[in-house]
Amino acid sequence: MLLSQLLINGLVTGCILGLIAISWALIYSTAGIFHVAHAGIYTLGGYLAWSLVTHGVPTLPAFIIAIAICALVGAAIQTQLYNRLADRQATPLVILVASLGTLAIIQNTIAMIYTTNILQFPLGWNRAVIGIANNSIRLSYPQILTLFAGAALCLGTICFTRYTGLGKRIRAVANNPFLADITRLRPRQTYTYVMAIASGMVGLCGILVSLDFGLQPYNGVLPLMTATVAVFAGGIGSTLGAFAVALILSVLENLALLVMPGEWGVAIAFGIFIVFMLFLPTGLSSLYSRR
Amino acid sequence: MDFLFSYLVLALIYVLVGLSTNLLVGIVGIFSISQAAVFGVGAYIFANLTMAATSMPFILALAIAGGACVLLNIVVSLPSLRVSGDYFVVTSFGIQLVASAVFVNWVSGTGGANGLPGIPAPEFFGFALDTPPRYVVVAGLATGLGCLAFWLMMRSPFGRLLRAIREDEIAIAAVGKQVLGAKVAAAALAGGFGGVAGGIFAAFMSFIDPYSFDLDASILLLSMVVIGGTRTLAGSIVGPFVMLALPQILTMIDIPSTMAAPARQFAYGVLLIVFMLYRPQGLVGERL
Amino acid sequence: MSYLQINAVDVSFGGLRALTDCGFAIKEGEITCMVGPNGAGKTTIFNVITGFLKPDRGSVSFKDRALTGMTPQQIVAVGIARSFQNLRLFVDLTALDNVLVGIRHQFGESVFGGLFRPIHTASSQVAVRARAMEILDHVGLADKAEIFVRNLSHGEQKLLTVARLLATEAELLLLDEPASGLSARALEGVMDLLRRLQKDGKTLLVVEHNTRVVQKIADTVLFLHQGHLIAQGTASQITSDPDLAEIYFGGVI
Repeated sequence: MLLSQLLINGLVTGCILGLIAISWALIYSTAGIFHVAHAGIYTLGGYLAWSLVTHGVPTLPAFIIAIAICALVGAAIQTQLYNRLADRQATPLVILVASLGTLAIIQNTIAMIYTTNILQFPLGWNRAVIGIANNSIRLSYPQILTLFAGAALCLGTICFTRYTGLGKRIRAVANNPFLADITRLRPRQTYTYVMAIASGMVGLCGILVSLDFGLQPYNGVLPLMTATVAVFAGGIGSTLGAFAVALILSVLENLALLVMPGEWGVAIAFGIFIVFMLFLPTGLSSLYSRR
Repeated sequence: MDFLFSYLVLALIYVLVGLSTNLLVGIVGIFSISQAAVFGVGAYIFANLTMAATSMPFILALAIAGGACVLLNIVVSLPSLRVSGDYFVVTSFGIQLVASAVFVNWVSGTGGANGLPGIPAPEFFGFALDTPPRYVVVAGLATGLGCLAFWLMMRSPFGRLLRAIREDEIAIAAVGKQVLGAKVAAAALAGGFGGVAGGIFAAFMSFIDPYSFDLDASILLLSMVVIGGTRTLAGSIVGPFVMLALPQILTMIDIPSTMAAPARQFAYGVLLIVFMLYRPQGLVGERL
Repeated sequence: MSYLQINAVDVSFGGLRALTDCGFAIKEGEITCMVGPNGAGKTTIFNVITGFLKPDRGSVSFKDRALTGMTPQQIVAVGIARSFQNLRLFVDLTALDNVLVGIRHQFGESVFGGLFRPIHTASSQVAVRARAMEILDHVGLADKAEIFVRNLSHGEQKLLTVARLLATEAELLLLDEPASGLSARALEGVMDLLRRLQKDGKTLLVVEHNTRVVQKIADTVLFLHQGHLIAQGTASQITSDPDLAEIYFGGVI
């Protein structure tokens, strides 16, 4: 039935959106930076994987290398750009403009090298679909992968920030950077780790999406903007909140295809954001954490 | 010679948009990436008004375009600024992306991806605007008025209040002054500048399409103000003149035509980073 | 009629109780000093009185009028203004501009006035500037009017925070550590100013750590500890109490 297919599609893209949201929120809540260049890393992940695969590197190592490079690029942005700006007492506005410049550089470098044509992965399996429930729902392998990755990484992030040493350090720094600095928690080092982890995560998202939809240099901004809506509506600091809103957003956008053309999907995300901004600016998670 | 006039007109129009961007980003201190969207809304409204069967007089159409954008900015900034500057960033992206979607998909209103051709050259009390030198006069007048308004505002108690708000909102609340109202008023004014500039742009180009008003355009407009210099009138003037000359410099480098647009945007990105790192006050501005 | 009355105010931040059943009264025309160890809740009670913080329980009333739910701006209009421990001056503005920003009911502070009636704005600004210069003169900063705040000395900046408060025409001034970090001479200047303000008819509630300052200017002293008022009296009564001294310097009750 079309409805359940749309639902599943919504859940799949919701997982991607959720992972973008979680990874972006990690950076935002820790370093306080509105890292728009995150969209560039998302795009970069896909193209790196594609380049490696088309040059004969086996699939799994190619993906891992691509993710690793994304992590390194993210860390480099932090250490070479954001840290330098912080040293010069840059205001958040300056950092945001610099991040935008970085995004423009990444996207357009890709456009110059790979052209703006849509590229597809030359693997056989990424286009194959399996049918479930009497073939009424069709899922491609990348979609199945995405569902698993989404659940695993969401759960993983929650456990990571709650139970591991680095995770707790991240939460401590996010809570009080000044205190973290003078108690030798070394926020800068933490910021670099956070950027690396988040960039790797979003690179993976870029790969998963491009397995299904192909590659395009400017495909990152819209997902990132939608993901930030999920972060704010879910409640800053709540991994589960962001992921949940991302899922809801995606499902709604997909269901809306029943009644309106796909190009207006962005209006749904934005409309939801306005609703939250007017009535619940502290996000969903504040509903269940109210004393 | 015609080419020089075109450069002048475009630069003057972009100065007006630059004032709009500078108000938001430089003076109020909120990041805006939707200036091209507002510019576009002004352009499309103007075009529709003057292309209608009962063609509307130039000034009136400009005024309505500007007024609509004032309202647009109020509606956008009021809820988001009530929460925080970062909410405005998300809203701003949203406005830009939704506006682009509207420009491309609402074919009856905007001509869709093919744009709106045949916008009539306006008549201005019998003075037909159909040659580039005449457009220079009109654009010069409009932009001159805009600069005057900007200058007056900055010297007024309102401008002083805005500068103080940018520094410390809590201190402003503590001396009993309203913060949100002032910020929204500045955003509304910025909308007015952008909408009027859009109208003049539509009249001058006689053809508009969504690609002059997309995210890349917003990035260019932001770059103009950031590189020219924020928070000063001079910065809003210098920026567009410099940035519009840039593509001419790029044509001297041999770039295949498919790479031309990404190469330009790449250059803007590099400039943004270099300036933020080494000269955040821009060429003739104050520290952002 | 009570002047400023705090009733049973409770404030908690997460698990931290900043104010516990905090209550006291301020008499009109007096200089009341609030003392107590760090973390006692002094700045928190300032935030509650001036509307920057909503208490979990309790109320504040000024001249028998409840201030609950009012915004900071409304409370300034009612007649109460506060300064900040970390000054919060506008560093990229001149001293005069800092005072000008505080003056109420200025024509031209809205976009309509400033933009569409520039001549009227300019002429009404003449009187406003004169008033601001008067205030600067009153605190002793008349010759620093056109100096940018970032170039003023610490002592001069402290005087400017008081000037900015005077611009609001508030009758009750809450001063958060107006004398901290000052040289002996600057200290004398501040104390003189505070006494002059009292003669002008202002009521002052001052948070101070310096016992000498407290002794010299306070009519009443309030001792706050762990978010609660534990003692009230004249300066000599409070400063000569050994139990209070132990709390102040680190003992535990």
